Amino acid sequence: MVLNLKTSSVETREQRLGTIIGWDGTASKLADESAFSRGDCSGCGTKARRVCELEGPFTQGSVCSEQMVECQAGNIRDAVLIQHSPIGCGAGQVIYNSIYRNGLAMRGLPVQNIRFISTNLRERDMVYGGAEKLAEAIRLAVERHQPKAVFIATSCASGIIGDDIESVARTAESEFGIPIIPLHCEGFKSKHWSTGFDATQHGILRQIVRRNPEKRQDDLINVINLWGTDVFSPMLGELGLRVNYVVDMATVEELAQMSEARATVSFCYTLGTYLATALEQEFGVEQIKAPQPYGFAGTDAWLRELARVTGRGAQAEDYIAREHARVKPLLDELRPKLKGLKGYVATGSAYSHGLIGVLREIGVEVDGSLVFHHDPVYDSEDPRQDSLGHLIENYGDVRHFTVGNRQQYQFYNLLQRVKPDFIIIRHNGLAPLAARLGIPAIPLGDEHHALGYQGMVNLGESILAALQHRKFHKDIAKRVSLPYKQSWLAQKDPFALARAAS
Amino acid sequence: MAILALKSRPTEITPDADKSGAIELVRYVCAIGAMQTAAAIPRVVPITHCGPGCADKQYVNLTFYNGFQGSGYGGGPVVPSTNASQREVIFGGADRLRELIESSQLVLDADLFVVLTGCIPDLVGDDVGSVVRDFQKRGVPIVYAETGGFRGNNFTGHEAVTHAIIEQYLGPWDGVRERGTVNLWSLLPYQNTFWRGDLEEIKRLLEGIGLNVNVLFGPDSEGLSEWRNIPRAQFNLVLSPWLGLSTAELLARRYEQPYLHIPVVPIGARESGAFLRKVASFAGISVDVVEAFIAKEEKRYYNYIDGFTDFYSEYWWGLPARFAVIGDSAYNLALTKFLVTQLGLIPAKQIVTEDPPVEHREAIQAEFRAIDDDVSVDVEFVEDSYTIHQALRNADFGHKPPIIFGTTWERDLVKEMKGSLIEVGFPASYEVVLSRSYVGYRGALSLLERIYTTVVSHSA
Repeated sequence: MVLNLKTSSVETREQRLGTIIGWDGTASKLADESAFSRGDCSGCGTKARRVCELEGPFTQGSVCSEQMVECQAGNIRDAVLIQHSPIGCGAGQVIYNSIYRNGLAMRGLPVQNIRFISTNLRERDMVYGGAEKLAEAIRLAVERHQPKAVFIATSCASGIIGDDIESVARTAESEFGIPIIPLHCEGFKSKHWSTGFDATQHGILRQIVRRNPEKRQDDLINVINLWGTDVFSPMLGELGLRVNYVVDMATVEELAQMSEARATVSFCYTLGTYLATALEQEFGVEQIKAPQPYGFAGTDAWLRELARVTGRGAQAEDYIAREHARVKPLLDELRPKLKGLKGYVATGSAYSHGLIGVLREIGVEVDGSLVFHHDPVYDSEDPRQDSLGHLIENYGDVRHFTVGNRQQYQFYNLLQRVKPDFIIIRHNGLAPLAARLGIPAIPLGDEHHALGYQGMVNLGESILAALQHRKFHKDIAKRVSLPYKQSWLAQKDPFALARAAS
Repeated sequence: MAILALKSRPTEITPDADKSGAIELVRYVCAIGAMQTAAAIPRVVPITHCGPGCADKQYVNLTFYNGFQGSGYGGGPVVPSTNASQREVIFGGADRLRELIESSQLVLDADLFVVLTGCIPDLVGDDVGSVVRDFQKRGVPIVYAETGGFRGNNFTGHEAVTHAIIEQYLGPWDGVRERGTVNLWSLLPYQNTFWRGDLEEIKRLLEGIGLNVNVLFGPDSEGLSEWRNIPRAQFNLVLSPWLGLSTAELLARRYEQPYLHIPVVPIGARESGAFLRKVASFAGISVDVVEAFIAKEEKRYYNYIDGFTDFYSEYWWGLPARFAVIGDSAYNLALTKFLVTQLGLIPAKQIVTEDPPVEHREAIQAEFRAIDDDVSVDVEFVEDSYTIHQALRNADFGHKPPIIFGTTWERDLVKEMKGSLIEVGFPASYEVVLSRSYVGYRGALSLLERIYTTVVSHSA
């Protein structure tokens, strides 16, 4: 499938990849139903949808694409994000400011507030249109912050009233001489928020990445990530490679030079699939097609593929051997302490595939996981990136593998089915329920925590720390009343409502 | 029911009628943020009919990154949402809402559901009223409020929710008024970081002079039984510059129930005493009862203030003289009053940030002008943080480092100005708030501790 960078809107995940948000079964069954089909994607065609989806009448608040634009485009250090929306979309400025400040501190960069401007659309603008307010907000952004680029996030309201954001942006671009980049991310347009990652990356590819790079930087590797600690620089440094972190915390220039890099990697294919595939398609920057770098098997394979592409085989083998020797005794110490524990992973899709592998490496039992969506294939359509297949082949099946769009009411039934000792989680709203059931959570704000060889040690130590929290959780569990009906809490099937409806 | 105008509008919408501009770094959320007003009533669950991110955005930012308050029994991630998609935009979302309400009854254990709409149904014109009325006719406890984000903010959304419950859930009433019972309409739940502790303290003060208080929101509320008792109360007490006034006026029209409006939320002994005397006089409570309670409270209060006096008079390394408050009118007025009248600090810049309706602004101005016998303050109304920060940079703080009562947004600015920051409003992402209160007698002592711990911790 060819990614279409000519249109200003990105194709949604469900259109491109056949993404689903409701499914329940074994991991191996999901892998079989997915377009990767355990290594054979020949039947995908241009539209990859293959997996049957469960859709029920009851849903709790989810997350939208615009929020993912905020968490990427809004975290570029010398750009401004304009939210062309009523003030409510701007609420996200608060959380992404907190994350941005913590991210900057973790990377040793100067801590500062995010730069978001809401156009503050009101009732009048719904009638007469908000284009003038947008033009004024762009002017303010430029005058106040002298940014290297201005991003515009659209909203449900601006989409429905049909504001011509493209022409406002074009006019401003010629006036101010910097990229003014509309990101089409209306929440109602995609059922899964990860389309918002793609919308941001689509805009960056169209208007920031250097189209005709004059030079190549053969030792530069694009690393698609969020705000995590800098674990890639030392790792890639062993291979004589430099890191270009994108999109969060990057500068506009660092984004522009992506087309000059030797290759692109990411910590999670959910996040990186669109950008990495497009960089290869448009600029020949090779996407590393390997399992994700989690656990021994994944990290070994990932490093070897990166080394093959960059011609650094000997250095990689030397590094792999040294890291195995360094980490193995540490893990041997950890494993007895973790023996008999059962973990549950509730995170984004590809990230979960990696984390389950890490848990099994350190001897923790995993027989359930919740992923917030499932992509039956990634944009590369290359089976070497089949992260779910890799998990099953290297670490075995997962009995209760669930796709659900962060629905707390189902999470109760899921936990009852598995009864884990702890959960690993990203995204808000689920850990508080687990806590009230006496189950501690490891909230992974730093997405690099469990990555690579050291990641196995890190995660093991975090589990031991979290288990001590059980004292708190067991105490509170005796004292809370949950807002769910007893009849629902007694329900064994998390998808009972969906099955009754179909 | 006609569309409820959340924002007061001059007359018709015209191209020139609205002067609202862009806002950098928000200090309130949109009308559907009032889902947390519903969730602030024990065992009430909001149902949101909106896009997939709306409910998450409002609750995460109001309840988590604002004092890490927690989102309540039926709030936050519990809240059902239609997560409206392309289908609902093109074909309308009434059927989807009906399906969600039906299934919510199967899953959730609630005393009342409050349906709140977002931009999508309000723009495509879903007849939410007719959907909800069908359920009401079947005896389902459910009301609805139109809270599309473009219609207003969470303050006006809050009033839309209280109106909805009163108009659609409370029946007619012609019984005998219960003397000594008061309905309290005060701080905005969740938006005000300290609302739970503050309501608890206000309730304590009112009970101290013998009143029975329907606090209506938060852990000290009895929930819907209190709401059903609203018409029986002797009177409504609106304790805020303007929020709650329209609700009190609605109750006056509907039940001929009188109300008392006190704009200043009391902090410290002087204001708390004045507050209690005003309420007692309105409620017809005997002077002896009130003065006895005040005397008891003041004994405790001034005992601690006496101890504080050693520090306040003798701390060698300097204490701030001039202060600014950036925040909602309720806390801004309350803090300014306390800091000026009780501590003798000098107001340098007061900016009200919640976009109060135009018709209330003159009254708010007047309160600030009369802040003390010898001090008058010119308050400004600004919502855009860039403009606010420029105003703070240009304010005269004299030769000492300033103390700023504001939000997380002021963090970098205060460092730049080498001052102290007390986060007192949305967003307060660097405060963890459980039951802490800054109002009344007890809250004032906590506030003093917070202010001067911050100041002292800056010294070597």
